Amino acid sequence: MDNIRNFCIIAHIDHGKSTLADRLIQRCGAVEARDFRDQILDSMDLERERGITIKANSVTLPYTAKDGQTYELNLIDTPGHVDFSHEVRRSLMSCEGALLVIDASQGVEAQTVANLYLAMELGLEIVPVINKIDLPSADIDRVMEEIDRDLALDPFEAVQVSAKLGTGIDDLLEAIVHKLPPPTGDPEAPLRALLFDAQYDAYRGAVLLVRLFDGTLRAPTRIRLMHSGEEHKVEEVGCQRLKRVPTGELSAGEVGYVLAGIKSLSGLAIGDTLTEAERPAAEPVPGYREAKPVVFSSIYPMETNDYGDLTKALEKLKLNDTSLTYEKDSSAALGFGFRCGFLGLLHLDVIQERLEREHSLSLILSAPSVRYRVVLNDSSEIWVDNPTFYPDPTSIKEVFEPYIKATIMTPERYLGTVMELCRERRGVDTRFNYLAAGRMEVLSELPLAEVLFDFYDRLKSLTQGYGSFDYELLDYRQADAVKVDILVNGEKVDALSQLVHRESARPRALKYCERLARTIPRQQFKIAIQGAIGGQIIARTTINPFRKDVTAKCYGGDITRKRKLLEKQKEGKKKMKMVGAVEIPQAAFVAVLRTEDDEDEG
Amino acid sequence: MTVPSRQPGLYLHVPFCSAICPYCDFAVMRAGESIRRRFVDCLIAEVPLAAGAWPDPRPFDTVYFGGGTPSLLPPEDLARVLDACRTHLALASPAPWVFLEANPEDVTADACAAWRRLGVRTLSLGVQSFEGEALRFLARRHTAAQARVAVEVAHAAGFDTVSVDLIFGLPDQTSEAWLRDLQAAVALAPGHLSCYQLTIHARTQLGVRAARGLIAELPDRDQAELFDLTHRFLADAGWPAYEVSNFARGPDHESRHNRKYWDHTPYLGLGPSAHSFAVGGMAAHPGRADDSGAVAAGHRWWNEPRLRPWEHRVAAGERPVAGEERLGPLALATETLMLGLRTTAGVDLDGFAARYGLDLVAANDALVTSLVREGRLCVRSGPEGRRLVPTVLGLAVADGLAAAFDLPLP
Repeated sequence: MDNIRNFCIIAHIDHGKSTLADRLIQRCGAVEARDFRDQILDSMDLERERGITIKANSVTLPYTAKDGQTYELNLIDTPGHVDFSHEVRRSLMSCEGALLVIDASQGVEAQTVANLYLAMELGLEIVPVINKIDLPSADIDRVMEEIDRDLALDPFEAVQVSAKLGTGIDDLLEAIVHKLPPPTGDPEAPLRALLFDAQYDAYRGAVLLVRLFDGTLRAPTRIRLMHSGEEHKVEEVGCQRLKRVPTGELSAGEVGYVLAGIKSLSGLAIGDTLTEAERPAAEPVPGYREAKPVVFSSIYPMETNDYGDLTKALEKLKLNDTSLTYEKDSSAALGFGFRCGFLGLLHLDVIQERLEREHSLSLILSAPSVRYRVVLNDSSEIWVDNPTFYPDPTSIKEVFEPYIKATIMTPERYLGTVMELCRERRGVDTRFNYLAAGRMEVLSELPLAEVLFDFYDRLKSLTQGYGSFDYELLDYRQADAVKVDILVNGEKVDALSQLVHRESARPRALKYCERLARTIPRQQFKIAIQGAIGGQIIARTTINPFRKDVTAKCYGGDITRKRKLLEKQKEGKKKMKMVGAVEIPQAAFVAVLRTEDDEDEG
Repeated sequence: MTVPSRQPGLYLHVPFCSAICPYCDFAVMRAGESIRRRFVDCLIAEVPLAAGAWPDPRPFDTVYFGGGTPSLLPPEDLARVLDACRTHLALASPAPWVFLEANPEDVTADACAAWRRLGVRTLSLGVQSFEGEALRFLARRHTAAQARVAVEVAHAAGFDTVSVDLIFGLPDQTSEAWLRDLQAAVALAPGHLSCYQLTIHARTQLGVRAARGLIAELPDRDQAELFDLTHRFLADAGWPAYEVSNFARGPDHESRHNRKYWDHTPYLGLGPSAHSFAVGGMAAHPGRADDSGAVAAGHRWWNEPRLRPWEHRVAAGERPVAGEERLGPLALATETLMLGLRTTAGVDLDGFAARYGLDLVAANDALVTSLVREGRLCVRSGPEGRRLVPTVLGLAVADGLAAAFDLPLP
């Protein structure tokens, strides 16, 4: 056990975590050069492309150190985004130490800090790593100062590397062996194994990735998941090289995989504890928390015919993503779809992209919503995340909405605009701290709902790309929420209804109306587009009708050609969604429902 | 409205012009004397071929010489064609109403007299414009003065209706210029006016120039303004519209022939590219097309569009049919709506319901409501029953209106 090191890499997006992992794997010879493809841990195309890790992965590396001893290094990958913080937490809990990667030119960013705090809270030993020292813009002195001031770590402990070039990798491996502690645990005690990740294998079913704290695990032990209560018989255990390698047993302190003939991931909760059914542990590994969706959106196929494909695609994704929730939903305007729950905006983004890319679906997503807690007049309580089910305002006593604590890091010169942005978004208790010279940290308590609509893009543009943003959920607070409906010629377009703060209702409704007016083609009659709260109209635009579309021409007896043209025209209209007598092209829904804010400002 | 006619019409296509107009996409060509003579022989030969397959026993009460430029054919040739028609087809007695399209430069007192003797009652003149600049743009071979003279000569010859064709919507055309055209036309007091909107077709001289960016079609807004101006001015002047592009100084001057295209009255077309329409299954039930208006099925076919293939097939003793289409209730209903909304008489809702089993207005309730509110349509009830009638605003977008309707036939 003394020769085991369990560690993870904490880094901000783009700070080079995956490249660093690649170098470590390569240096330890865990993979033949010819098998090597960059960023092995990020196995999904999407991850490779966007440079973010969505699903944690892990790998066992054999390393012969300068002291002549061979160590088993378990690199446990962590998802790179706050939406997956429950997974991050499980991953961190499986480790004794963490490498904190900081970009030599970008310096410390908000997310780095958030994950560092989490790692510290869990008692992990931290080794700072300054990466990208080969860049011309690298400012190692400044970064060392930030490490000292912002993170309160010893900057002289930091290992300087260039993952891209392989510089400093040997020093880093030595630091892992000597600065990180070995795991502790009792191989004889009742089994306690933390389920920190799970993957789906088409042939073997669920692959459970576990960290053993106590006990020993081998086939065919009957295991019990302590939170769900499910029992399974172990078929195989082993360690993850780049492929699974059966080892016969896993014991306390080790990291590895378990196959137990589990057909799908949907019943599994990351953070659950495996124990022996015969000889259960007294207590599970602490800190279990159910991952709850916080952002909701309805997903509809562009082509109504694709509903079946969407169903299948979601089922497939769900196999690999225990945090995705979905249930049937339908809209008069968009047909059948699913109401989906996500861990956050990035999670939503990732699911959308995977559906579109891996399953070749064209989708329309309704405006993302948070989940409101609504107290009715009779003091009963309901949770509402779908505008369709929002109760009649007169029956509502009060409404509560989720708040987040936002951590924003920005160069000092943007402090004013960032504070203003927080104020605009109903931020309360907004404070700021000086970090290193010229860098500020802004803390604000914001309604999550305000962050869902173009907050991140606005922050990025206001700070010219320098601002970084991270958040954690705080609590529920009283809200002044209203349901805004969009009406086209007096008919409600259900897919465009949304729940917003009363003060944002008018500008939001106006924005939707204007976007619709730009994308609905002119028709033969005037189209009124209105935003309304209940019966009260709060925004309005109109689309003026065509003035002329007829060809005043003679055409003799050739009526057939003329009718064929008309039939073609009608065919085109079939692809549009009818609301009342108005045809709304799918593109209009897409344009209206996009969350970013571009040409609207002009 | 004229007295409804359900008798079939006969169309004869003469595909020749003295020059090809830069905007024209019809089946036309320039040809010398010998080709013209051979064409007339073939047209005469086609008459018995077509007659053998024509299912409708009722006499044709209109005969329309169109083109091209039928006035290029010597009156003797026209007479030979008419004789052949009288021999093989049932023509109304004492005589069908004969229409002839003519270019102003072909209109002389002698020619008019000859045409009158042939039974021509409507002379349709391809004036296109009274403005020098527009005539040059359209590459017409006559001057404004010639056009005026032609109308006067035709009037003097005693045709029942003289019709003047005009084209509007030329690139950069101002409403003032178009108004001068309309005033010039009205001053000549023709019985009938056709105002066609210039459409730039790809495979025409203008189409090529447009593709090179040398000219552009007038924008939608300006077209709409000219369209509106046309309808308002002519209605005030005493030539109310009875169709999107057709205006008449009183119902007697409305085209008895063209309206057959619009209301599913049978028509037989002879000559290259000519279209024909018959009611019902063609050979199966000859004579089923009765006056009850019970249209259940239609049959449309069209001739070889090019002169040579048409001639070859006629010479070989075949009907020169290039294609055909059977029309079921949905196609017929679509056309009834599409064509009806282009006429000021509109769509006969009761007739539509009786024929197709669909209450058009009830099936498109929301649409009709908003179109009525917008002043595009009105639903009129009168002694002739309920009609769905387009306003001038509605006529301007008639094609779009028709496409917007749902036709869920039972």
